[in-house]
Formats: sequence, C-alpha cells, structure tokens
Amino acid sequence: MAAVRASGLVKRYDSTCAVDRVDLVLQEGEVRGLLGPNGAGKTTLLRMLFGLVRPDAGSVELFGQPVAAFDPVPAEGVAGFVEDPSFYPYLSGRANLELLAELDGDASAHARIDEAFERVQLTPRGEDRVGGYSTGMRQRLGIAAALLRRPRLLLLDEPTSGLDPQGTRDVGALVQELAAAGIAILLSSHQIGEIEGVCDNYTVLRRGRVVWSGSAAQSRMQAPASAYALSTSDDAGAFELAATQVGMRATWSRTGQLALTTTEGSLDQYVLALGRAGIAVRLLEQLVSPLESMFFALTREPGSDPAGIHELAEEALTRR
Amino acid sequence: MMSATTVTPRELAGIRELGRGAAILHAYRAERRKLATQVATRVLALVCVLGPFAFAGILQTQSGAPADTMFGIWVHSSGYAISLVLLSFCGAWGFPVVAGVLAGDIFSCEDRFGTWKTVLTRSCRRSEVFIGKVLAAATFSVALTTLAAISTVVAGLSFVGDQPLVNLSGELMSPAACLALVLVSWLFSLLPVLAFTALAVLFSVATRNGILGVLGPSLVALAFQLLELVGTGIWVHTLLISSAFDGWHGLLTEHRFFGQLLFAIVVSALWIAICLGASWLIIRRRDFAGAPMSRRQGWGAPVRTVAALALVLALLAIAGNLGPDSVTSARLQASIQPTFNNLTLLQQRELGRTVPAGAKLNILTNCLRRAGTRRGPGDDWVCTLDVMIPQPGAVPFNSTPVTYDVSVKSNGCYKAEAPPTFVGQLLMKDAAGHNVVNPLFVIYGCFEP
Repeated sequence: MAAVRASGLVKRYDSTCAVDRVDLVLQEGEVRGLLGPNGAGKTTLLRMLFGLVRPDAGSVELFGQPVAAFDPVPAEGVAGFVEDPSFYPYLSGRANLELLAELDGDASAHARIDEAFERVQLTPRGEDRVGGYSTGMRQRLGIAAALLRRPRLLLLDEPTSGLDPQGTRDVGALVQELAAAGIAILLSSHQIGEIEGVCDNYTVLRRGRVVWSGSAAQSRMQAPASAYALSTSDDAGAFELAATQVGMRATWSRTGQLALTTTEGSLDQYVLALGRAGIAVRLLEQLVSPLESMFFALTREPGSDPAGIHELAEEALTRR
Repeated sequence: MMSATTVTPRELAGIRELGRGAAILHAYRAERRKLATQVATRVLALVCVLGPFAFAGILQTQSGAPADTMFGIWVHSSGYAISLVLLSFCGAWGFPVVAGVLAGDIFSCEDRFGTWKTVLTRSCRRSEVFIGKVLAAATFSVALTTLAAISTVVAGLSFVGDQPLVNLSGELMSPAACLALVLVSWLFSLLPVLAFTALAVLFSVATRNGILGVLGPSLVALAFQLLELVGTGIWVHTLLISSAFDGWHGLLTEHRFFGQLLFAIVVSALWIAICLGASWLIIRRRDFAGAPMSRRQGWGAPVRTVAALALVLALLAIAGNLGPDSVTSARLQASIQPTFNNLTLLQQRELGRTVPAGAKLNILTNCLRRAGTRRGPGDDWVCTLDVMIPQPGAVPFNSTPVTYDVSVKSNGCYKAEAPPTFVGQLLMKDAAGHNVVNPLFVIYGCFEP
C-alpha cells in the first residue's frame, strides 16, 4: 500500500495556479525529495496532503484512506510540518509537546517527550519558553513534535531551514535513521545539497507542475552536465586540451581554479586524454552534482542565463 | 529510534484510533489548558473574585449610592442589592468583556502564532478542534460568571449583611427569598453570557484578529445599548443579547412574569446558534495556507467583518420601530401605582406608624410623556400620583400629589425619581433614630413588556 497517493492535484489562488495536476506516489519506507525553487508549489502540495488546504481538483490518499475535502479525519502515523514549525511562544517547549500529545489522545506520548527532546538534542532547553527559541531550535522542536506521533509517514517541509551546518547534518542523519526504520518520508527543499544522498527518489516541481520524477541513479544518468574543479600538473595544458574535447567546457574561476562543465561520459574521455598528454591529475572534485545540475536545468526560467551552471560552479569554488 | 510501541491494525491502515467523543475531549482539554495558562484569564478570574469585594468596600466609605442602577439605593441596606447592582453592571459591560477576553482570541491566536497547521496535523479533525475550543471558552465563561456570582453575594453579605431587600414591586423579600432569587438571577444570566461568548468566537474566527476579537463583544454591547435607545418597537429590542440579561427582572416583582425570561432564553440560544454556525462554516471552508496572519493578510478580514457588523446594526436601527410599543401609560400606571403604594406603607412602618395588614392607599395615577404622548420608552415620562388621604371634616379627601420623573426602558423597567421637597432625602431617620434609606426617594419597578 502506498503511504501517499496523490492524483491530479490542482490548487489555484486567484489567477495563480500554485499546484497544477500533480501526481505523486510515495511507497511505504521510501524517502522522496520534493524539490523546486521558491514558489514552485511544494508547500501547497504538502498542505494538501495534510488536509490543511482543499484541492480544487484531484484526490489524496494516505495509507489508502482518502483525505476528505471538508473536515478531514487525520490519518494515524502521519506527522511533520509545513513551512516553519510553529508553537505557542508563551509556553515552554515541553508544555507545547504536552499539548500536542493531548491533541493526539495518546497517553503514551507523554512518556516519550523526554526521549523526543533527547533525539533532537533539545533537552537542556525543554523548560524554556518557545518565544525565546532560535529558528533552528523551533525546527528541532518541530521534528520532536512529529516524532511523538510514532510516524509511519513524515512530511517535512524544509526541515533544515535555519539550522547550522552541524544541525543540518544531524537532521540528515536522523532522517536516514528514520528511513532505515521503514518510515516513509517526503522531504521538501530547495537546497538540493542538504537532502542529496538522503533520498531514494526525487520529484522536481516548477510553477506547480511536476517536471521530473525519478531515482537518484536516473538523475545521474539524465543530468545534462555537472561541474568539476580540476587541478593538474599543467593546468594551462589541461585547459587547452579541454577545448578540443566534445561536450566539455573549461573556465577559469575568479580564484584561478580550473573548472569543467561536462557529462560523466565526456569526463571519462577527458581524463584518459590528460593521461595520454602526460598531464597528471592532482585533484578532481565535483562542484555541482548531477541532481543539482538537472534541477537547475529543469527549473531554470525560460530566457535566463544558459550558462548558469558555471555560476553555480563559481559559487561553489568561492565558498571553498 | 523512539521506543517501540504496538501498532494496531487500524493504525497500520492509517485509520484514526480516537473516537469522535474522545477526540473532542482531548481537544477540549488542550484548549482548557491553554486558556488556563494565559495571563489574561488569570487576571480576569482575579477581578471576578476580588472586584465585588473592592466595590462593596468602596461603597462602605461613601454615603451615596449608585441610584441610577436598579436596586442601587439599597446597597447600604441589604447585601443582596450589591449582588444585583453588579449583575446589572455585568449585563451591560462586564460580561461582554469577559466573553471577549476568554473567547475573542481563542481562534485568532492560532493565526497570530501560525499554529493552525500545528494543531490540525495532529489527531483531531477541524470540527473536533472547533468544538473543543468553543467548549473551553464556554467552560471558562460559566466558571468566571459563577465565581463572580458567588463573590458578589459573599461580598454583599460580608460588608452589608443579609437584611431583607425591597423588590421591584416595593415589597420586602425575606433574606432566604433574596438569596434564592439572586442566585437564580445570576443563573439565568449564564445563557446570555454564552451568547456573548459565541459572538466573541465569531469575531475571532471571522476577523482572525485578536484585538477585534477581544474588543468586538464590548463594542457590540455598546451598540446594543444605543439601539435600545432607538425606536419604540419591541421586536428589535427583544432580539438584542443585552435584553436577554434583563430576563431576571420578572422574578423580582410581586406578580412574577416569565415571558421575558423565556424570550431571553430563546434569544440567547438563537445568538449562540447563529454565531457558532457561522463560525463553523468559516472554519470548515477555510484553507490554512500561508504565513501567520500578521505577516500575510493584514486588515482585510477585520475590515470586512466590521463593515458587515455595521451594516447589521444599521439595519437593526432602521427596524427599531417595528413591532408593538411595549411601553404605554396604562402599563406604567398599573405598575407604578401599587409599587408606590407598597413603598409608602413601608416608609410609614419604618417611621414607626402602625400600618394594618393589607392596607391600601387611595391613589390616582396619571403618566404622560413630556411631549404629550402616552407610549414609547424614554426618560421624559412624568407620573403624578395623587394620594387621597381621608379627612374627618366636610371634605372627605385631602389630595396630596407626588410627581415623579420616570425613565422607562423598552424592557418594561423603569426608575422614578421625585424632588426631595416631595419625598424627602435619600436617607431618613427611622423610629429608632437610625439612618435608613427613604423607600420613596427612587422607585424601581418593572412590568411585563
């Protein structure tokens, strides 16, 4: 049985079509990334899955149970949050979780609050008022609140938003741990790097429509090009050689680093050619992943800079 | 991972384990807890408990009395008057404030904090959360009203005592009867309190704005007070929640009338049904999308709600003359004459004169408005009561006229005041030389509208 089965979902706000005929299936135990730039319809789609927003057309089933358009009955084991997790600022983190446990009607949930705090490393601040929490702490509390429901399906909207790098890694590890336990997870993000490697499959949205859906392996195969940083024993020679290769583009970054934009197949040919030319490869590092480059190509607005992948590579090099 | 727990087959199929009743109970408990932790609720509870004591205490330091309010002149004579004066005040202003504070932000706070999505992604349906919130607000409204009722009685008895109280027909009621009637009066005010609570819920849901939700009921109460001054018809006045607070007046007359009380119950139930029905329709159809209200929707919804309310109030004002006149000179005369008779006899008794049981003065009463008309509520009524006192000589009667300026409300209650040259000062000396309230200084009365 699919954890989520959405068919032909449509949601319009005035003249804007936020979600346009979206089909989505999430199997039990599957982790799927929901990708798209800001305004692509990810959050609206999640809201419809939660029953917070009524679709103008289409249907949603969670574990085979249809989500009614009016006054939907919440499905057991479905948890998560949309946008930033929100709580009552005048109550402590613990009091907030106690309230939510009360709403769940699950007496055993109260006993799991300590454990949930422990999982998201919020125990020392559990008694503090949420009004004093940072964005990252609220994010952690949101995850703790979701865990209280003993989820079998987690719908998480930008769960790493506002987290520091360590927090982002922690959430990634937690998601992987939950996924390993068989929990189906739909992870929405516009930061591909943060969820890449966590998800089995991806769905890419643009302007409310699904523009690509497939596995991580498929994304590698179908990616138009990726960007790499290259350091050799003769960078100038490597640059000249790149110009003779089909499907390859070499540029110098502002930091003087040689950057390549190419597909995996062309890269293989190029590395062999470097060897034949007596140029030793000292460093070859992927700057933009296939998924990222595919995301960029799929969600690029018509008429925008076609060389945008180079900008991504340049950004990556500058960050290093 | 979280600790292992048994997953039932229903949970496996995604079917909610909670029954509808249990879900409502859980939503109710959560909302009750939220309300109980709020500072405003606690302050209000404190005011309900301590306010009556403060009021009674301050009255003790003053010789005057709040004569404009029903039973006002009796606050130094009977502790029960303090409770009834406060009940009148609460009906006009206190209860709308209580309802606004308790229920006016109970839905809009979820918009302000952006917590709708948190609440509605747990195990309760919208309808269950809605019912839970309404029940929690109603529970606190009833609880605080009950606290206020008990507190007013205890404050009155502590500061003044349980002396008999003069009813709205000028007769003394025994302390036991007073206590029972005071408590029943407070009891019957619960329904209109709940009606104001439902109105606050509607404000909270429709405007999604806590400020309007809290202030809305008080503003409506003010508008209702003004509407009561507009028009002479009974229909619109009867439909106002504020009128429902007057239902208890009929219990405090010699010949009790219950029609007003029945109307108060029906009108309150009507307001509750309409306000909660409209609120649920809004919640049921609402898309919970986007950022918290404060950052997204601005004042659009509040302005629309206030405009709709203003339109309703304008229509009510225009319709103010619809229906029969409840106030006529015949009804007023029929009420004020026996009341005046009873109060005069009471005054004579207090002065130490012997008044035979069942004694009755021969009074000719004539009530007219200054404009010359004989109907309609207003404060320009004048009643002249000619008391025919038997004379031993050739002239059988000596006519002593007393003129009262009477203010009559559309609910049939009135307050009559006469110049001290006619009836004396507020306080007079009784037979034992003690200062007592002059019963004829101000006459309070009610007739069935």
